[in-house]
Amino acid sequence: MTGPGDLGALARLAEELLDDEDGRLLDEIARLYDRIDPMPADLVERIGFTLTLAHMEIELARLTLESRTPVGARGEERARTVTFSSESLTVMVTITPTAHRECRIDGWIAPGAPIRVELRSDRGSRDAIADVDGRFDFAEVSCGLVQLVFHPTPDIEVQLRSPVVTPAVQV
Amino acid sequence: MTSEATRSGTSRTGTGLSACIAALLIAHRTGDRDAMASLVRQVAPLLWHVARSFRLDVGSAEDVVQNTLLAFVRHSGEIAEPQAALRWLIVTARREALRSIQLRDRVELVDEAARTMPAPAEDEPERIVLAQATQRVLWRNIAKLSERCRQLLRVIAFAERPDYAALSSALGMPIGSIGPTRGRCLAKLRLLLSADSEWSSS
Repeated sequence: MTGPGDLGALARLAEELLDDEDGRLLDEIARLYDRIDPMPADLVERIGFTLTLAHMEIELARLTLESRTPVGARGEERARTVTFSSESLTVMVTITPTAHRECRIDGWIAPGAPIRVELRSDRGSRDAIADVDGRFDFAEVSCGLVQLVFHPTPDIEVQLRSPVVTPAVQV
Repeated sequence: MTSEATRSGTSRTGTGLSACIAALLIAHRTGDRDAMASLVRQVAPLLWHVARSFRLDVGSAEDVVQNTLLAFVRHSGEIAEPQAALRWLIVTARREALRSIQLRDRVELVDEAARTMPAPAEDEPERIVLAQATQRVLWRNIAKLSERCRQLLRVIAFAERPDYAALSSALGMPIGSIGPTRGRCLAKLRLLLSADSEWSSS
């Protein structure tokens, strides 16, 4: 398969101009990757949340761990625990479905400090102040894309240089 | 998604993504409020395939797409030549991907938990059920190519012919990797496929 004749054939084929068969083959390759590994359908929408903050100096947190645990006796509802990490902060967030198309978000910031937390969604934004241990919560959050922003807060021990922004996630 | 992938149709002789991105960047600069959103939609799938071609996990690949586009929005006023915007985006995505790999390798030394992240789809072709015989045979033969060739073909498959040279150089591939000539990666794949009896019959 890799004899000297084949290498000659390879070199000749490589030097030819692209033809329609190459075009068809590349289309087939695109279809293949679209099938086995497509871009997540909501990625552009999620990124849009962060792009609206492009005018600000921000620190981006990464989603580093995600797990699901059953809640309730029959375990049909699943609570999600998501961990976001950035240079300045680590935040663990538990998202628990409560009512129809609503959930509750409980978060824990490390290092703990009464940081102002903003919850951004399609419907606007809400604020909460974490307690001294870094715990915060948002009740009655409508399902959809949300993003958390941890703002530099004056007169507390943890001083952020710029807001820390999580990627937008579906709740 | 599929319509994005096959935007150019089988001829692949459109004006190219470079020209499309350039026009949208110019429109954005002249105050068209929707232009940047269109640009993001147009280029995001390509950036995704660049990131995943480096075998990043899903979360890291999403970060690469996000960080690349965030940097682009911030620096969109500084790109002197709009025709070079696509190249700028691919070079940035590649740099972000390499940075992500460095970060991951450092983290893995101290944190085994990082390994719980799902492996890239490319690592497990057997688990992917490809209904169509054509795609199964194609995948089997793509898997025989070098990693660099798989990366190049995956990325240019989502672009158009006028973009090939810019894309291969943005990916750090030598000039002549593809376009106007076929280049070795595509030539090798064609040889492999022509030797595969199932390909010719499918």
